[in-house]
Amino acid sequence: MTLRQPVATLGRFSMFCWTFCRSGLTRRPPPGKVLEEAYKIGVRSLPILMTIAFFVGTNLTLQGKNAFEPIGGQNLVGMFVGLAGVRELAPIIAAAMIAAKAGTEMASQVAVMRSREQIDALEVMGINPHWYLITPRFLGILLVMPALTTLAIYGMLASAYLVAVYQLNLNGAEFLDFVQSAARPIDLIVANIKSLFFGAVICMVCCYNGFYSKSGPKGVGSATNRAVVTAAVICVILNYLISEIVYA
Amino acid sequence: MIQFENVSKAFGDLVVLDKVSFEIPKGQTTAIIGHSGAGKSVLLKHIVGLLKPDSGSVHVLDCDMANAPQQAIYATRRRMGMLFQQGALFESMTVGENIAFPLVHNHKALSASERDDRVAEVLTQVELPGMQDRSVVELSGGQRKRVGLARAIVTQPEIVLFDEPNSGLDPVTSNAIDELTLHLQKLLGITFVVISHDIVGTLKVADRVGMLYQGKLIEYDEVSRFIQTENPIVTAFLKRNVHLPDATLPALEDIVGGDS
Repeated sequence: MTLRQPVATLGRFSMFCWTFCRSGLTRRPPPGKVLEEAYKIGVRSLPILMTIAFFVGTNLTLQGKNAFEPIGGQNLVGMFVGLAGVRELAPIIAAAMIAAKAGTEMASQVAVMRSREQIDALEVMGINPHWYLITPRFLGILLVMPALTTLAIYGMLASAYLVAVYQLNLNGAEFLDFVQSAARPIDLIVANIKSLFFGAVICMVCCYNGFYSKSGPKGVGSATNRAVVTAAVICVILNYLISEIVYA
Repeated sequence: MIQFENVSKAFGDLVVLDKVSFEIPKGQTTAIIGHSGAGKSVLLKHIVGLLKPDSGSVHVLDCDMANAPQQAIYATRRRMGMLFQQGALFESMTVGENIAFPLVHNHKALSASERDDRVAEVLTQVELPGMQDRSVVELSGGQRKRVGLARAIVTQPEIVLFDEPNSGLDPVTSNAIDELTLHLQKLLGITFVVISHDIVGTLKVADRVGMLYQGKLIEYDEVSRFIQTENPIVTAFLKRNVHLPDATLPALEDIVGGDS
């Protein structure tokens, strides 16, 4: 395997992002489209995101108890949930779910448009497809990512609290005190900043893969698959890098 | 109006256009024919600037499509319309919204009622009156082509490009599209460029015809002279496409004469 293809892909992706920044972000977005996209991304992803966040919270508490009980530190479960959940898991789970739900939709929609010559049609009509297709999705996802991440954090904390208090019989007030001692307001801000980066990555990677997909059902399928896998991997790496910069 | 000068284009080792030079005159229908894979669509994409030549130049409406800045290319494209092979209509929109789309984005001075009037007018011209509110997914292949054509002419462009207007259509619908193309060209008097491998339909609608073969434009002339060419590749292509193994050129002249 040579390095030629990955380097060429990286170069093309960079050009795609540059073209988008130059032509897609320098004009007002198509009227009404940003809110429409924000609604689609936000509302449609919310049920699955909250379900996942809820059960991650329950398991985090159970495993926290298993980890700390042998050393007599059950109360540290709250701290564990605050540190691992708020700082790391909630933002990355939100990103993974948005990539899985909204990202697949973005990649497949754009790929189908490519396959059916609709992107060429936009070009021929003198309408910049970066502006028409990507700008609303980009701004829409940036608009909802912090809100979705915050909701995921609170959903996870709520489930963790319920398991801690009603299943493990821990002291509720003490649990919340430990959560607050570990997860400060600045951590919420960092989680939201992370979510903005994740949103940008999901949108650009998914739209890029759709934009340059091959035609036909196979082309659309593989573009969608590649888009989501790539976006998820980049988000996980980015999550580590941001945590390293902020918390190390 | 449209000028190709020594245009060459290759994808890897595959040479698709090899020093192609020709000029498309204003106000006529020019058709480019050739086998599948002969480079017809590549040639069309050079006209709209979706592809850039490796060498040579393409001038459309005084714009150098290979070297002009992106804004100038978009401005030139707004003076053109194009009918795509499958229509390239947006399925999430109605017929009326599809046709109004270029007006909404490129002719913002028009009021909503002016836009609606213009949409109704072009729908009548393509013989689909009152279809504004129909969903695109309900349309037949022929209707999709007509709606695509309505969208292509709604901005009153100076050039309309047709990418395989007969592909995927049955002979009757195909013939109807040819008649419509002829009718619209006479009605609007604008420049039509047709890319096709359907020789019967092409000879019916075109004023000038060119044939692409192995990347070269081997013949390019007015229809009456084109069908009398002695180029063996062109004559073989003409005979094969009318499905008459022993077809003679006068028979092809009959086709042209009978419908134009």
